[in-house]
Amino acid sequence: SDILDEEPRSIYEPGFFQTETGIYGGVTSMYAHLRYIYGEAYYYNTCLTGTDEVTYAQSADQNFRVMDISGQGEITSTSSRADVLWGTAFSNINTASGVIENAAEVGISDDVVAEARFFRAFDYFMLVQTFGGVPLDLGTGELAFNTNPVRMSGRNTVPEVYTRAVFPDLLTAVNDLPDAGRVTGGATKTLARLYLAKAYLTYGWWLQNPNNIPTYPETGRTDPDGHDAQWYFQQAYDVAIEAINNPGPFGLEENFYDVNWAPNDRNKEILLYADHTETSEFYNGGSLTYGSGSAPDNFAGWMMTWNYTTITSSSSGTSWEPVNSVQREAEQHLGRPWTRMCPTIGAITNTFADKTSDSRYDGTFTTVYHGNWDKAGISGSLYNANFMEVNPGDAILTFLNEESSEAIDYPGSEGNSNIGAGVLPGRSDFVIAPGGISRIVYPGLWKLGPYRTDNGNGLGEPNAGSTRPFNIAKFSELYFIAAEAAVKGASGTRSARDLINVIRARAGMWRWDNNGNEEKIEDHSADMIAATPSAIDINYILAERSREYYGEGYRWYDLVRTQKWEELAGTYEIGGSNYGDHTPQTVTRNIEPYHYLRPIPQSQLDAMEGNTETYQNPGYE
Amino acid sequence: QTINISGTVSDDQGSLPGVSVVVKGTATGAATDFDGNYTLDDVPANATLRFTYVGYQPLEIEVNSQTVINATLVTDTKQLEEVVVVGYGTQRKEAVTGSVVSVSGDEMREVASPNISQALQGRMPGVDISQTSSQPGTTMQIRIRGTRSLTASNDPLVVLNGIPFTGSIGDINPEDIKSIDILKDASATAIYGSRGANGVILVTTKRGYKGQEAKISYNGYFGTRSIFARYPMMNGPDFIALRQAAGQFTNGADESENVDTDWQDLMYRTGIVTSHDVSVTGGSEKGSYNFGLGYYRDEGVIPTQQYNRISLRAAIDQEIGRHFRIGLNSNTNYNITEGSQVGLYGILSMSPLADPYNEDGTWKRTVNMPLDEAWVYSRNILGRLDDRWLNETRSFATYNAIYGEVRIPGVEGLKYRVNLGLDYRQSNEGAYTGRGINSANPETLSTASVSNSHTYHWIVENLLTYDRTFAEKHNVNITALYSAEQTKYTRSRMAARDIPSDQFRFYNLGHANGEITIDPDDQIYELSGLMSWMGRVMYSYDNRYMLSATVRSDGSSRLAKGHKWHTYPAVSAGWNIGNESFMDKISLVNTLKLRVGYGQTSNQAISPYATLGRLGTRPYNFGNDNYATGYYVSELPNSGLGWEYSETWNYGLDFSLWNNRLSGSLEYYVTDTKDILLGVNLPPTTGVGSYTANIGETRNKGLELSLNGLIVDTEDWTWEAGLNIYGNRNELVALSSGQERDEGNWWFVGHPINVIYDYEYTGLWQEDDPYLDILEPGGNVGMIKVKYTGDYNEDGTPARAIGPEDRQIMDLQPDFQGGFNTRVAYKGFDLSLVGAFKSGGVLISTLHSSSGYLNMLSGRRNNVKVDYWTPENTDARYPKPGGVASGDNPKYGSTLGYFDASYLKIRTMTLGYNFDGKSWMEKAGISRLRLYTSIQNPFVMFSPYHRKTGLDPETNSYADENAAVTGTYPSRLLTIGTNAPATRNYMVGINLTF
Repeated sequence: SDILDEEPRSIYEPGFFQTETGIYGGVTSMYAHLRYIYGEAYYYNTCLTGTDEVTYAQSADQNFRVMDISGQGEITSTSSRADVLWGTAFSNINTASGVIENAAEVGISDDVVAEARFFRAFDYFMLVQTFGGVPLDLGTGELAFNTNPVRMSGRNTVPEVYTRAVFPDLLTAVNDLPDAGRVTGGATKTLARLYLAKAYLTYGWWLQNPNNIPTYPETGRTDPDGHDAQWYFQQAYDVAIEAINNPGPFGLEENFYDVNWAPNDRNKEILLYADHTETSEFYNGGSLTYGSGSAPDNFAGWMMTWNYTTITSSSSGTSWEPVNSVQREAEQHLGRPWTRMCPTIGAITNTFADKTSDSRYDGTFTTVYHGNWDKAGISGSLYNANFMEVNPGDAILTFLNEESSEAIDYPGSEGNSNIGAGVLPGRSDFVIAPGGISRIVYPGLWKLGPYRTDNGNGLGEPNAGSTRPFNIAKFSELYFIAAEAAVKGASGTRSARDLINVIRARAGMWRWDNNGNEEKIEDHSADMIAATPSAIDINYILAERSREYYGEGYRWYDLVRTQKWEELAGTYEIGGSNYGDHTPQTVTRNIEPYHYLRPIPQSQLDAMEGNTETYQNPGYE
Repeated sequence: QTINISGTVSDDQGSLPGVSVVVKGTATGAATDFDGNYTLDDVPANATLRFTYVGYQPLEIEVNSQTVINATLVTDTKQLEEVVVVGYGTQRKEAVTGSVVSVSGDEMREVASPNISQALQGRMPGVDISQTSSQPGTTMQIRIRGTRSLTASNDPLVVLNGIPFTGSIGDINPEDIKSIDILKDASATAIYGSRGANGVILVTTKRGYKGQEAKISYNGYFGTRSIFARYPMMNGPDFIALRQAAGQFTNGADESENVDTDWQDLMYRTGIVTSHDVSVTGGSEKGSYNFGLGYYRDEGVIPTQQYNRISLRAAIDQEIGRHFRIGLNSNTNYNITEGSQVGLYGILSMSPLADPYNEDGTWKRTVNMPLDEAWVYSRNILGRLDDRWLNETRSFATYNAIYGEVRIPGVEGLKYRVNLGLDYRQSNEGAYTGRGINSANPETLSTASVSNSHTYHWIVENLLTYDRTFAEKHNVNITALYSAEQTKYTRSRMAARDIPSDQFRFYNLGHANGEITIDPDDQIYELSGLMSWMGRVMYSYDNRYMLSATVRSDGSSRLAKGHKWHTYPAVSAGWNIGNESFMDKISLVNTLKLRVGYGQTSNQAISPYATLGRLGTRPYNFGNDNYATGYYVSELPNSGLGWEYSETWNYGLDFSLWNNRLSGSLEYYVTDTKDILLGVNLPPTTGVGSYTANIGETRNKGLELSLNGLIVDTEDWTWEAGLNIYGNRNELVALSSGQERDEGNWWFVGHPINVIYDYEYTGLWQEDDPYLDILEPGGNVGMIKVKYTGDYNEDGTPARAIGPEDRQIMDLQPDFQGGFNTRVAYKGFDLSLVGAFKSGGVLISTLHSSSGYLNMLSGRRNNVKVDYWTPENTDARYPKPGGVASGDNPKYGSTLGYFDASYLKIRTMTLGYNFDGKSWMEKAGISRLRLYTSIQNPFVMFSPYHRKTGLDPETNSYADENAAVTGTYPSRLLTIGTNAPATRNYMVGINLTF
């Protein structure tokens, strides 16, 4: 009878995927799914903490400490935060399979379907790098749209995931995707080529397995398609070079600074990003006033922001009357402090050894904290180090580029600056030398800092998640991929050194002194190229990658791909967790071969039926 | 010598048919005929006749050789109450075979309450009523004999004047209640079939009766509400010591060590509770009426929080001719709930070292603590905000039942009745937060939102009843029902940013300068229908043997095609042992009745459309000006989704002893719930989050005892006391095939549905404790020590570090609980007391656990006052400040929130005086006048939580509310969080009848 029939009027049923609007909605959700991975701070942490770039900072909780593998707790199926990727990717893979299956019937063109293929390959590529082999059959057959509530799962091997899912989808995507995106930030041929080249490169390393790192599920290091590692390195090289030679609307920015400068977001160098906006709270997916600290908000940038707001200057020139001179502000150098992650001293002193010719140190970190108390309604001048007068906009705290020749007068604890910063004679700013950075006071990560156009004359909304897109893939990486493939034996028109020098030459181009906050039009390209070693090895590629992509979430994957994690990140240096700690301590990490795969999350094991004992990666049982 | 006797039995209205006349001590007897006449032959001349009739006091007359004995029976108000409402009819309590508990409106009103859920707390065995919010006007969670369902609703069905109730229980004014009857077991609830699985609460509001003289009554009270206890936060010196011990934070810009601000003192006010209720009732020869008007106001101790309700009640019954009867019962109310925007976390977490005032004595807008800049609010500030920060929900509801009844001529005892229920409820919520309000940034844009919801419900019930007594001893009652009903619920919600002027509040979002959002996830349309057939036979023989049998068949729109219908039987039997002749010699026992019942009921209380699957939405922006909404499969369809059903066995014993001075009942029950409707979490690799399925099985069994005693009964003194005590044991018997545990939902086979799955606190790590480095890598002395369940190496060292496999399943349910009441009267004075108690179980206090962010022990924000570890104070319960952390909290900080849930609480104490029979009253036309004063929530005893914190041990929040982090516990659990503090109320009241 009528009253027992149902017709929903406020929700969609899964059958909606068989309509044109449904298909486009499915494709949109694939872009939106990026927000649940990129900009999610805990996943971001798994990409960096424990590498040579980053360690945990003073306010770090277990989410960060365990990832450091330095005796602060074990990485386990519940403590690992790579669960973020696992929990997001499969649902998106299923949506992509649904779009791919239904599109033809609805009459959706191949270039739109190719977006779905790209994202399915993208997720599988991320999964296989992070966890090893993962299931291709979600419940109704390999790569099929699943509407079957199964509670079993079987893992495919790494070669199966690459050769049956990642490569075929990306090859089709390269073929079918347009040169310019269908929408702003949409998938393109160049983007698909970047991922195809990177997947080939990564799989080539995996086949080669130079340091005997185990995989899971266990399988021989042979390719089902009969190719060897060398073949894949060559493919990686060729695809990357092809992408460089046919860039479409993409290319390198003139200056490194502009790549990450917020007003220039979504520039021609960025191939893929998880977008956000300050123009709509609803479509931004996170509050424009107070971020919750959970996806889909973009809150990764809070992690490497230390609590600069406790810095004090004095309202009196004779006795120290503390005033917070650097206030929390929605500005790219500042933002919301969470003090969860910090750079290692090695990253500052070794990776970024050149801070004068190479613009990338200045274009990566906040090293000078400028006074902004006027924006908080505090008027007039203040007095800072040496009781010298400072005005809004002046440097209050500077992380020195080099060790000081004069002895810095550090207080034993907080001191006048309230953060334990030192004083040099004749300087009105407090200072900290590179060797004096600690888990509590360290250069901030400028790249991911917030940017808003609605601050007016005030401090804006520093507690909101970042409304900037979170960058995922850049055109510049094609040079690195080709160069790395060349180092691994691929041959072609451009040598590894030539390719790396494109990046280094650009890094020598200055137009703005970011931390000095003034124009600086200088060309140090020649110096940069001159400093490039004649023979490029993998360690040099890795160091150069770190200079280019520091703090963007590439590092763990780079070290795992090249199997250099233990070698490059086995020890690090950092100062302690208290104000006034300026003595570097050397910390040793216990990186085991099994750590090269992350544990399968407990939520997966809990929800599975039957025997789950062989599902977990070895070492994590 | 024997004689023949005849006579007439009457009451003050005239002759009484059907009165039982028995020669005492024998089975000889007769019943009066239609005109009240009877005859008895061969009666011993020295015998005694006993006249009994339902609703009248029994009467005994010695024969003394008289041959004509006329008797006049007097109505027994006590006996009248012994009629219980059993659904689609009433039954004499004596004949009831199911498990039914009743409470009269007057008893219930001994606890002055905004709604019946609060009034009933602790009053009936097996009925567990828990507070879910301490804000004014909120209702409580009712669980009858435990929880049985995992995802579907566990709420009982409320039936108002015979019509299933679709609204909020707060819409019913307690002053309007005549009686409340709760059906607990399946044999009693089976007549409500698919909706009876969680028990049924039958609410009957007042009506007039025929021939009643018109009366007007006024009932009112007035009282104050003040906090029961402030939340135990640290004061300035405590906090300085904590911050030093933690060594993590230095004073923020607005903090100073010589300041000691009590932010709670600056916040709370004394609230007012008041209720006024006027009713008129009366009857004529053929009809009766009752009208009432009520006003209730409840102000919370947190400024702006208040609840106001105006209610209107009308009941009319009219006979038309000899065969027809019609009637109307209407309950309408309008209520406003305000102030939910004001939370307490900001106040409790505020540093006591922060000075709220500027040097010129004005309030600071914000204060800077080490890491946080907090917006300052207080009683004074909230008072001035007026237009700029508010949240109100205005609800209007009307519940109407109309009936028509006809006696079928020619068939004695056969009636046809049609009930028509027409209900409508709307709720409009508006919220507005002005520019810079509740934000560190004075320029933060204003926001406003409006939410409108509507519920439409209709039901038609066709009832045929046949009620007749044959051969004086065979009483038969047959009921047949066909009903159909439909409920429609719609909700729309919109929100906007940057309202240009405070004057608009939320009344014109169209003026917003910023974004206007209509989130598709906030718009709801639900239409559901239910069709039912039911048949019931109740038979009793000679008031000694009773049998009741029911069959009901329900069809629900919420379930999948082909699985929509389910039929369930129920049967119960009773034996009034006390009425057997062999019991006459046992004068100790007045009544003794044994009951056994079996029945099936079911549950379809899942959201409409759950069988269809669902797409989730993901809004996204492509650049700054191209917006789109994405869709992905979030729930899979289940075309086989059917009924969840429960089978219950119930055993009961009712008794009264010593001339009815002590009465009570004892019950035991077992309920098995099968094919549970469960939202099953799928492994992420399935590509879909969840689906709803019929999976799993639960069991509840329990024992319930209630006792009522009349301890002293003299001319001047009476002392009555009642006690109920019960325990329920809940067990999850099975999840989906072979699955033993669902850690994601904290469900474990062999354990109750509601458990805690967490590490077990065993103390703190001390200096000499071995294996700290193995069990807790990176840990420190003074950190929380939890139970290790792993293996040990041969040398005795633990084999691994403490990890997730060490988590324990901990039972939350109390050993037993119950309530008590007592009343002492001396002449016109009476003193009464109502209380409730609970023994055992676990209380979750998010104030103390890591999810509350009030026990971070880091000195970042204010902390609950706790005894923490320091090198000089090593036997503390709480860990070393600034030690190893997880998030912003001490590692294993969640374990600090578990307390023994035992308590005994005096809920209300009342002292009253009845002015009876005073001549001045008669002159003024007053027939009843009572004055009373009462205290609510005066004492808490035997509560470890109260001892440690001073707080009321009653829960005040769901686990996803009133805590800083809300994902820690399944939201179904109840907790004590940062909701409005518990209050103690003092009131005075009057009852007046003309």
